[in-house]
Amino acid sequence: MSRLQAMSGFGLLVLLAIGWIVFVPGPKRTTDVTVTLRATMNGAPLTFDQFMYDNPAGPGAFRVRDFRFYLSNLVLTSGDEEFVEPDSYYLARFDNADRSYVITLSDVPLRRIEGLRFLIGVDPDANGSILARGDLDPNSQMAWNWEVGYKFVLFEGALDVDGAISPLVYHVGFSENAREVSVLVPADMTRAGETQINLDVDLAKLFDNAALIDMQALPTVKFDRTDARMLADNYADMISASY
Amino acid sequence: MPRVIVLLAAAAILVAAGWLIRDFIRDPVATPIADFSAPFVFGRFAVPPDNPLTQEGFALGRHLFYDPILSANNEVSCATCHIQAMAFTDGRSRSPALSGGELEFSAMSLVNLLWGQERFFWDGRATSLEEQALMPIQHPEEMGQDIDVLVAELSSSSSYRRMFRRAYGEVSADNIARALASFMRMLISDNSKYDKYLRGEVRLNAQEEHGRKLFMAHPDTKVSLRGGNCIDCHSQFLTSGFRDALDGFSNNGLDPEDTLAPGLMAVTGNPAHKGFFKVPTLRNIAVTAPYMHDGRFETLRDVMNHYNDGIVVSDTLSPLILEADNAPDTPSDTVGLRMTPEEIDAIIAFLHTLTDEVFLTDPAFSNPFEGGS
Ligand code: HEC
Ligand code: HEC
Repeated sequence: MSRLQAMSGFGLLVLLAIGWIVFVPGPKRTTDVTVTLRATMNGAPLTFDQFMYDNPAGPGAFRVRDFRFYLSNLVLTSGDEEFVEPDSYYLARFDNADRSYVITLSDVPLRRIEGLRFLIGVDPDANGSILARGDLDPNSQMAWNWEVGYKFVLFEGALDVDGAISPLVYHVGFSENAREVSVLVPADMTRAGETQINLDVDLAKLFDNAALIDMQALPTVKFDRTDARMLADNYADMISASY
Repeated sequence: MPRVIVLLAAAAILVAAGWLIRDFIRDPVATPIADFSAPFVFGRFAVPPDNPLTQEGFALGRHLFYDPILSANNEVSCATCHIQAMAFTDGRSRSPALSGGELEFSAMSLVNLLWGQERFFWDGRATSLEEQALMPIQHPEEMGQDIDVLVAELSSSSSYRRMFRRAYGEVSADNIARALASFMRMLISDNSKYDKYLRGEVRLNAQEEHGRKLFMAHPDTKVSLRGGNCIDCHSQFLTSGFRDALDGFSNNGLDPEDTLAPGLMAVTGNPAHKGFFKVPTLRNIAVTAPYMHDGRFETLRDVMNHYNDGIVVSDTLSPLILEADNAPDTPSDTVGLRMTPEEIDAIIAFLHTLTDEVFLTDPAFSNPFEGGS
């Protein structure tokens, strides 16, 4: 073997070593996140269209025809670092077999997810705009007219008091009624660069919480600011982590 | 001299033949329709990736739409029941059936189909315009045509062969559907007085503006807000039903439980959808009488009387309709909005601002076999 050959052989080895260090992946630096929201009523999956729930503070039983809400301004945190999901406006609806709504975010630039923050509702800027962003759509069921903005939380159904059926309509909006939710994510929810976050949405809280609602006395909430704020304070903590 | 002429003639024939052959063998090079305009307030829309909008597809679709060759008896075209001057309806309660008598439903307006619900027909049984387009052709009471026979008929026409070749390639059922769907997607109405008002070009008069406000408001007597609650189902800019999932279908109180038609339930099998029908667009509504899926109302005043005090209660009736009442403390035997006659007139005046003369007379959407092409 000539000296030249030996040297170039050595050079090749050095190159290979450098290449190894540079190109072979270290532990993954991003995380794929799945947030699953499940609609429940008193701990059991929500049932639509059946008079099976008691009026929390009055006579009769109610049924749910529609329940949905906007979830927006999603932020994932890891220690002091945070990742703000851009244009995150999700319409969470549960009219499917497993009463769940799933948000998937791939390659979130955080190595671990320790917390999650979002609004129930929409920020004032987006609420006052007619631009379609995310699931915000001014031609949708969640839009009041453009002078008012969006419904944040929508509940429609009916109350049955001794066979007399009457409608229930709770539409809560107005920028002041967006409520922030923040959830801690236990370390064992992250495995191999994937984080599973399970959230429980307890619809019962909307009527049975800080304020206890008699649906017969208050069958509808729309534009009355005091009523709307009361329901907003009720839904403020309807979402919690479930593991 | 004659030799020169013969040579020239031979050369000309060769060139012509070459041109024809080239035209015949080359792949279709359709021209994309890239920059049609639509108001941003209409929102997002989607065109299926396997049927991009092209000039050639639109032109072919327009010919097919107006050509009675599509029917078995060569007498009925799509335009028989979808007439441009009536915003592509036919002015009848129910369209005529081939065997005499009437169809089950009233013909629907064809406008702004790129937006709103992604399901078609009153009961939503078609999930794309491509799927929809072949249905009336084969429907025994509408056009009664065998699709293979139609493909053969169109293939024997050199001008159709050429149009298909330019737009898609071969004459086929799929390509008939693509062309008709492309034509219908381009039926965009955005020049009504309401559109001009939204663009800041004109003002509504006081009555129209009052009607607009009522249209856009769900009544809430607790805060003294009067409203017609139309926006609960007819969206604010499009005036059609909502796009998301099945949100664009509802029961607006036409019939009692025992005679309530299945509607959307026939498609989904869900009893909660009984009596649900597609919320129709209200654009050009002043020229599309009579109204509702069976054309039961002759005038817009009849429609308003229905919403005002003629609501018929059934189990699936929209709670928003049942709850929307401008005078909840006044006892009454009827269900409805209970607005004043002035308020009803105002809403009707607003509905008239939705008429778009440019659309109703646009030569691009007219019969290509009559002069303009
Ligand atoms: C005999 C009359 C008749 C003819 C011919 C006819 N239609 Fe229709 N069209 C109707 C009726 C009636 C409806 C509503 C039917 C229903 O809901 O079942 C309708 C509905 C539609 C719709 C649904 C619109 C919506 O918003 O959901 C489209 C699209 C349509 N027709 C396109 C066509 C095309 C394309 C042709 C020709 C291939 C055609 N029609 C031929 C009567 C007709
Ligand atoms: C709960 C939902 C809902 C509300 C609220 C509502 N509509 Fe409708 N509208 C519908 C449905 C669904 C249809 C079609 C019903 C059918 O034919 O079975 C319809 C049909 C119509 C038609 C007939 C359209 C046609 O092409 O035949 C007109 C006009 C109309 N609505 C106007 C209004 C006005 C004006 C208001 C407010 C005063 C209003 N609607 C409120 C759901 C609604």
